[in-house]
Amino acid sequence: MELLVCVKQVPDDSVTVVLENNAPKLDGITPVVNAFDTYALEMAARFKEEHGGEVTVLTVGGEETVPSLRSCLAVGANHAARLDETAACDSLGMAHLLAKAAGKAGKFDVIFCGVESTDGAYGIVGAQLAETLGLPLVTNVLGLEPVEGGVSVKQETEEGYRIVETPCPCVVTTVKPGYEPRYPSIKSKMAARKMPIAGLTAADVGAEASAYGPDAAKVRQTALSAPPKRQSGVKIQEKEAAVAVSRAIKMLAGQKLV
Amino acid sequence: MEKQAMILVYLETADGQILKVSLEALNAAKKLAVQTGKGVAAVLIGDASAAASAGVYGADEVLTAAADGYQAETYTAILTELFARYETPCLLLGSSRDGKELAARVSARAGVGCVTDAMDLTAEGGWVRSVYGGSLQETVSIEGRGVVTVRSGTFGKPEETAGRTVPVTAADVETGALRAVIKEAVKELAESVNLEDAEVIVAGGRGMGSAENFKLVHELAELLGGVVGASRPAIEDGWIPRNHQVGQSGKIVAPKLYIACGISGAMQHVSGMTGSGYIVAINKDEDAPIFEVADVGIVGNVNDILPLMIDEIKARKA
Repeated sequence: MELLVCVKQVPDDSVTVVLENNAPKLDGITPVVNAFDTYALEMAARFKEEHGGEVTVLTVGGEETVPSLRSCLAVGANHAARLDETAACDSLGMAHLLAKAAGKAGKFDVIFCGVESTDGAYGIVGAQLAETLGLPLVTNVLGLEPVEGGVSVKQETEEGYRIVETPCPCVVTTVKPGYEPRYPSIKSKMAARKMPIAGLTAADVGAEASAYGPDAAKVRQTALSAPPKRQSGVKIQEKEAAVAVSRAIKMLAGQKLV
Repeated sequence: MEKQAMILVYLETADGQILKVSLEALNAAKKLAVQTGKGVAAVLIGDASAAASAGVYGADEVLTAAADGYQAETYTAILTELFARYETPCLLLGSSRDGKELAARVSARAGVGCVTDAMDLTAEGGWVRSVYGGSLQETVSIEGRGVVTVRSGTFGKPEETAGRTVPVTAADVETGALRAVIKEAVKELAESVNLEDAEVIVAGGRGMGSAENFKLVHELAELLGGVVGASRPAIEDGWIPRNHQVGQSGKIVAPKLYIACGISGAMQHVSGMTGSGYIVAINKDEDAPIFEVADVGIVGNVNDILPLMIDEIKARKA
């Protein structure tokens, strides 16, 4: 099967983002592939290794996203494509660009997206991509296997899981499965460096100017702020754990909390 | 029936009961209704047994649509059709997994903006949500009609008016043939966890060290009449089911007392619990960021501290 994985480059989500001149201060934070997209890639790579086919990764962004695509090529992707577009988009605009780029990049049986990005965290682009392409969709996917004419998918739910069967082509959005993404080897990193990255433009793929970019956005940010700060109180450091506990319990009792 | 523009709120139910997060969406819808002067229609799909309850919680009307069990495609088609039929300025849903999927799909089909995980509605009609793992909060506005999902633990439950009855209309909606078919649904998490309403939460993180040690968290929670919470690492390590998660991918909570045990205080966790009345943190790393939000921080090994704490509280109770 031919597999496409849509990836987004995001700032390392273990770093707290602060505000500078009313904008997020992102310089100095390492750009990484969105964690949920790395799970999607690993799931696709495992699927390919077990059942055959090839994996293509696709991103939308400027030249600065090339290292992220290379890192995907080093951990299971066979091909990479970048739609060179940096216009600010809302989710629907991004779904439009991805839909057009996916159509240009090849014919795919399963399109994988991480369930959400760790930066904006709307968690809807994958589903909107499926709707834009008119394809069936399964969200919150933990794993999948081929069945006659399609795939059988394990979907995480609030209280357990579902088994969903869908014909291909289809779109799936992935959550964290029970395994970690693989690490690259020196050899796979070297190989990835030499692999071509297909360059696409919005014009190439037939994106409609009225469907993406800041003017087309239906959701717009009007303010950005730091969440309310909380004052810290007393820090108890005692040699004897029992003394520390006594002090803490006294304070709780003082607040009528125990 | 005369059609008029109605705010719609989709009420997800389980065993005939409206999910708490859906009630919060209804509360957000009522808030929006006050701003816009529109009415609120609650939508029940499949099981309509909660219709009376939707009226008691303040919906102006209830729309029911028939469906044979949950299928995302059917529910998407129904909500998209009702969104068009009622010239809905805004469709609201709870931010459950299914709620977010339905929101995304309806918004794409209708070609309207979609905002997920809203935590507040500003006086200007903007939706507040958290970005960058809770590091920052953005306010966004939707141009034209839109779809919004409401994050659990943010809007609260609407007030109940006992005996309030509202019209219930059965909506006839054509749905197409299914492509992705839900064949089987398996319930793995037996208990439902009510972190949102808890007065006391005792939460454990990676610092607990093992599933065995995590039992101390349960013991203290039980002793204080509280609910057990957890940070993501404890869930990923399988010490506790995911419906106990507090923070970015879990619940936003605001108990009177929050005791964080072996939780370092990653932004993704802290952003879900800083609304707590009083925060106690226990961590062996004196520089752990959790101490920056704690009213009382105890520097020490949580597995030494917790048994002593449990004993002392027991002694006080005796």
